[in-house]
Amino acid sequence: MKTFSLYVPRDSLIHRINPIDKILYTITAIAVPLILPSMAASFLCMLISLSLLAAARVVRQSLPVFAFVFLILCTVVLIQGWFYPGNQTPLFGVEPFVFHAEGLMKACRIGIRVTNVVAAFLLLVLTTKPADLVEELVRRGLSPRIGYVLDSIFQILPQMMNTTRTILDAQRSRGLETEGSLWVRVKAFLPLIVPVVMSSLIHAKERALALEVRGLHFEGQRTWLREKRTYPYSREIRGGLLLVLTASIVWRILG
Amino acid sequence: MSKIRVEHLKYRYPSSEKLALDDLSFEVDEGEMIGIIGRNGAGKSTLCQAFVGLVPHFYRGAYGGKVVVSGLEVLKSSVSQLARRVGIVFQNPFTQVTGSKWTVYEEVAFGLENLGVPRKEMIDRIDYALQLLGMEKYRDRHPFDLSGGQMQRMAIASVIALQPEILVLDEPTSQLDPQGSEEVFRAVHRLREEGMTVILAEHNMEKIARYCNRVMLLDGGKIIDFASPASVFSRADLTRYGVVPPVYTRVCRELNAKREGSPHFPVTLEEACEVLKGR
Ligand SMILES: Nc1ncnc2c1ncn2[C@@H]1O[C@H](COP(=O)(O)OP(=O)(O)OP(=O)(O)O)[C@@H](O)[C@H]1O
Ligand SMILES: [Mg+2]
Repeated sequence: MKTFSLYVPRDSLIHRINPIDKILYTITAIAVPLILPSMAASFLCMLISLSLLAAARVVRQSLPVFAFVFLILCTVVLIQGWFYPGNQTPLFGVEPFVFHAEGLMKACRIGIRVTNVVAAFLLLVLTTKPADLVEELVRRGLSPRIGYVLDSIFQILPQMMNTTRTILDAQRSRGLETEGSLWVRVKAFLPLIVPVVMSSLIHAKERALALEVRGLHFEGQRTWLREKRTYPYSREIRGGLLLVLTASIVWRILG
Repeated sequence: MSKIRVEHLKYRYPSSEKLALDDLSFEVDEGEMIGIIGRNGAGKSTLCQAFVGLVPHFYRGAYGGKVVVSGLEVLKSSVSQLARRVGIVFQNPFTQVTGSKWTVYEEVAFGLENLGVPRKEMIDRIDYALQLLGMEKYRDRHPFDLSGGQMQRMAIASVIALQPEILVLDEPTSQLDPQGSEEVFRAVHRLREEGMTVILAEHNMEKIARYCNRVMLLDGGKIIDFASPASVFSRADLTRYGVVPPVYTRVCRELNAKREGSPHFPVTLEEACEVLKGR
């Protein structure tokens, strides 16, 4: 079954942490470097997120994402190193492409910040089953309807892409050009997209009927097939994160 | 006591000028299996959805008359309330998959969770429903990884788990291959043996003749006839309503082979054999 979820099943402590606590961690890890603009704070946050990724044993799965980020950061290094307005101290290179210390420093700061944000997000996304997160949110008062939509995105979208592929194949077998120049592709796009949109709309209406008769809009108390799970260290994690946040705000105000 | 009572039901879709259901009145008793037949656009699906409250609560539109299903008046009850008394299975097995669950077992639990059935009872009901539809071996499969027939049986199981007294099937096999279709009909047959009242809208007249004890012929939103399969399929004017009787009936009509003492032609293979052998 194809899905959009990046979840990697592993037996690690991080995987067993309450999804909501992981969201709180992600928020904190992104907020702290914003509150404390020093490079040390960003670097520390980045290190912690990276070690947590390692502890969850999902480093291999995060590498493609980091590779992509690295590619983008390379251009940042070039542009900042050469053209950063504050550039004063030339280091190496030939005119007009001379790397400057200030620009490289700036690029380094951006790189650490970006890596930190990406690592914090990956920690949440790679170690949390979307369904678990949604269930926890609904148990805490999120509307079950919204919960359903969030849950279904991970399956309905890939299904729609399947439909698109089927229709594409069908059109192609009827002689529709879908390869070649941009113009050819654009012309091919319209007859393709109309049936896709139509079938999606019809499917959406039919599915709405089926959900309706299975009580999606029932107003009473709902129940769950799964027993409520207990997650470890929830109180400690929340306390710790709150402490870190308060400490950085106090530091910022005093410092 | 009747399970379904319909009195002067009239209904018009909001975007439409003409009545989709035009002054229908009838009753259905417990344990009956009713076939609904008629040409495309006759109003079969609309009537099916009037039993479960989608007409008028989902579509809105103009509604008149009264539908009472196992004691609940449809107009005064919500679709969720009605879901516990009367279940519906639609044509397309694919669009009945919620898309929010990762196993067949969880999928069947969907309605029970929404309606707040306690966890213990939920598990009993899911096990029962899966077993009744012969789906227990697929309980850990992904819902989209099933064949059409299996998916449709999962849809029926999801509805059965809500323990309705009436099951409405709107062309449940028209998108299935012969094998999937046979699976579904066998499952429905078992439900009938359990005492379920079943309403079946269907284009396959052989299936209607074989399984239903009464047949309702609709045309233009009106009831043309509501009687035994033999009586309805023996009508000489059926083609005027876009209905082709079962092949056995057509053969016997050509041969003018009626059962002794009966005004009607045979409608199933068994009856036709019996009558033709006796000649
Ligand atoms: N959502 C809708 N809005 C407006 N009109 C509708 C809607 N659905 C059905 N109709 C109309 O109501 C009438 C009855 O349609 P219905 O779908 O009940 O027929 P049916 O007997 O189920 O046909 P089929 O054999 O094609 O399934 C038709 O004239 C149809 O065009
Ligand atoms: Mg229909």
